[in-house]
Amino acid sequence: MSFYWFGEVSDDCCVPCQSRDPESLSRRLEGIRVEMTNFTPLRWEMAVDCGFISTRQEYLGLLREVCMFRADQQISRDSQIPDRELIQMVRMLDQIDEAVNLLTERAVEWHAVLDPVFSRKYRELRGKSAIDLIRQGESAALREVVQEMERIYVLRASLAKEISGLAEKILPNCTALAGGLVAARLASDAGSLAALSRMPASSIQVLGARTALFSHLRTGSSPPKHGIIYQHSRVHNAKRGRRGRVARTLAAKLAIAARIDWFRGAADPAFLEVAQGAVNRAGGKP
Amino acid sequence: MIWIGGTLVSRGKGGVYGERMIDGMRIWDPYRSKLAAYYYLGGTLDLLPEMRVLYLGAANGTTVSHVADYVEVVYAVENAPRPMRDLLAVAGRRKWIIPIMADATVPETYASMVEGVHLIYQDVAHPGQVEIASKNSPFLEPGGKILLMLKTRSIDVRRSPEIVAEDAALQLESRGLFIEQLLWLAPYHKDHAAMLCRREDGVSGAEGSNGYSPGK
Repeated sequence: MSFYWFGEVSDDCCVPCQSRDPESLSRRLEGIRVEMTNFTPLRWEMAVDCGFISTRQEYLGLLREVCMFRADQQISRDSQIPDRELIQMVRMLDQIDEAVNLLTERAVEWHAVLDPVFSRKYRELRGKSAIDLIRQGESAALREVVQEMERIYVLRASLAKEISGLAEKILPNCTALAGGLVAARLASDAGSLAALSRMPASSIQVLGARTALFSHLRTGSSPPKHGIIYQHSRVHNAKRGRRGRVARTLAAKLAIAARIDWFRGAADPAFLEVAQGAVNRAGGKP
Repeated sequence: MIWIGGTLVSRGKGGVYGERMIDGMRIWDPYRSKLAAYYYLGGTLDLLPEMRVLYLGAANGTTVSHVADYVEVVYAVENAPRPMRDLLAVAGRRKWIIPIMADATVPETYASMVEGVHLIYQDVAHPGQVEIASKNSPFLEPGGKILLMLKTRSIDVRRSPEIVAEDAALQLESRGLFIEQLLWLAPYHKDHAAMLCRREDGVSGAEGSNGYSPGK
């Protein structure tokens, strides 16, 4: 007997579906797998023989309705996955940073034209401090631009807070180990929490170090020690000689944490204690 | 295929993705669509009005909409939710596009909906592209063809595209799919090869699946 979207067909008989309603037809297809050894594709005439429909137009029309209904449902099911929004938020945050850096650079150039003795040397001119300096400048137009940029800084700060809060809910274990922003970025680079939870630790370790990883694979240069997880203070504050080890341990624990987050969805204090201890030891702390 | 003064077009209502029109026909841009590039470079497989097509990797429905202009029906398989939204929008306004949200590596999940087809067009970014073609080949009607747009970079970035393509050709042949035509899609698309395959037994759908082995 063969299972088709319009009914079940065997050699001598056919049982058509009772309903012609796309919703119930679509529900019937839920979780169905058709064995494909010695498989013969269906012929639409079977549906006519079944008495399910009478014309080709009708066949295709109803099938399209069913398939569109199904796809609609699958899409809305997908967008209910909680990490979807978190991932968009953290991507927005990173893009804001990129944009602000570009704008800041341009504003400094502009300021330099107005102030002939201005030099970047011997001062810390990153981010906000450059803005503070320019705000005292003479050009009203530039001041206005800079004011807008300050608004973006405020926005960025509140978005970052928002992300950390949400990450704590969706990725409680990863967040406890690596912080909300890093955890969210890992999920973003993996594509989803589901994808992250299926990754081996060695992949998590180099997430975000794509260029270095591929140049390693292509040319045999030394492999990257860390990607996104470098942003976590325990990795970048570790001594140079120990950084690789800390990154490796943290990634190993994050791989477990991501699985707990995805499959269980709650913080696991016993695991976290052991994991924190392991990462601390890797960094040379007792 | 319909050409107007050296420009490939398709007959249909415009405005799907902002494509330009000539004489009321939709211009089919070889830089945007690998299938259009295939025709510009001398591809011989014509799309005919009575054809049924299984389209794997339908994406946003750009190429799908042009294929649907030529043929009877397109079964469009796409796995990612984002492009699926666009595909649904296209399918809702075109006559016979059947959108299926499923993973092309698991044809078992859509075999209850897809009838026998005359052409399988495959454009997926997946390392197992050969495997996908072979797994879906039971859908082919006798004499049907597979047009495989081989993304060599998705299979292996470390090896040269030519070697990857040669390797893929051998693998296809070992699965009973023989290459009738191979076209590199440069300059329109980098490192992409169009492979037109026919299934060797070509007798019936049932026999064609004898060489099929599930799993990897």
